[in-house]
Amino acid sequence: MPEGPANGGYMVAAYIAAAVILVAYALFLHLRSRKL
Amino acid sequence: MTLAQRGRWLTWVSLILLGGVYVRALAFTPPERFQGLAQKIFYVHVPAAWSAMLAMGLVGLASILFLVMKDYRFDRFAAASAEVGTAFSLVMLTTGPIWAKPIWGTWWTWDARLTLTLFLFFLFVGYLLMRGAVTEASLRARYSAVLGICGLVLLPFIHLSVYLFRTLHPMPIVLKPSAPSLPGSMLETLLLSFGVFTLLYVGFVMQVYALASARDTVGDA
Repeated sequence: MPEGPANGGYMVAAYIAAAVILVAYALFLHLRSRKL
Repeated sequence: MTLAQRGRWLTWVSLILLGGVYVRALAFTPPERFQGLAQKIFYVHVPAAWSAMLAMGLVGLASILFLVMKDYRFDRFAAASAEVGTAFSLVMLTTGPIWAKPIWGTWWTWDARLTLTLFLFFLFVGYLLMRGAVTEASLRARYSAVLGICGLVLLPFIHLSVYLFRTLHPMPIVLKPSAPSLPGSMLETLLLSFGVFTLLYVGFVMQVYALASARDTVGDA
């Protein structure tokens, strides 16, 4: 078990948020290149 | 292989590598004793901040080169870097408050570092809005270059803000004159993440630059 306060939910939220932004941007660029 | 295809390939490879960083950070890097698991947010927040600042630094340098050489490829590169920098700023400004809430007890505080990074984000957004609003190409490139250079000037203030002002934000632990103050496994994960975020920046910029080149070619025809 990890030491320290129980705040793993914040860690999970941050990792999901970062992944969503970066993958969404990659998909957005992919769609933009297909439209051109 | 065209620039756009190479950029797309590099982007997807970087995203897969980012998955590797996630696995290493979450499963194989020990948590910090006092901050607990929330400290691991640092492995995405700090590299995102690095990429955003790299993006603005290169916007500024390309802007100077454009004003000196009047070569529109520099203007196109600056615009591409600004768009990508906006995405990384968004990651930085999203993950930062999620870390701050359990550690500081608040999502946000108007201290120097946080306010200046928010200003960096607004500068990116303002840069893109301004490019969308000005239709005449030479005028747009000149206005953009001025804004890009303002962004470049802002960067040292952001980095040094933790030394210049009283701030809640932690001091630099890697980009500082003395040796990095992190245990080996944490430092390795952080450096790996820096590398992957930098690759992702390059992949994104290659794609946006190629798109802008293609759009200009279509516009000229």
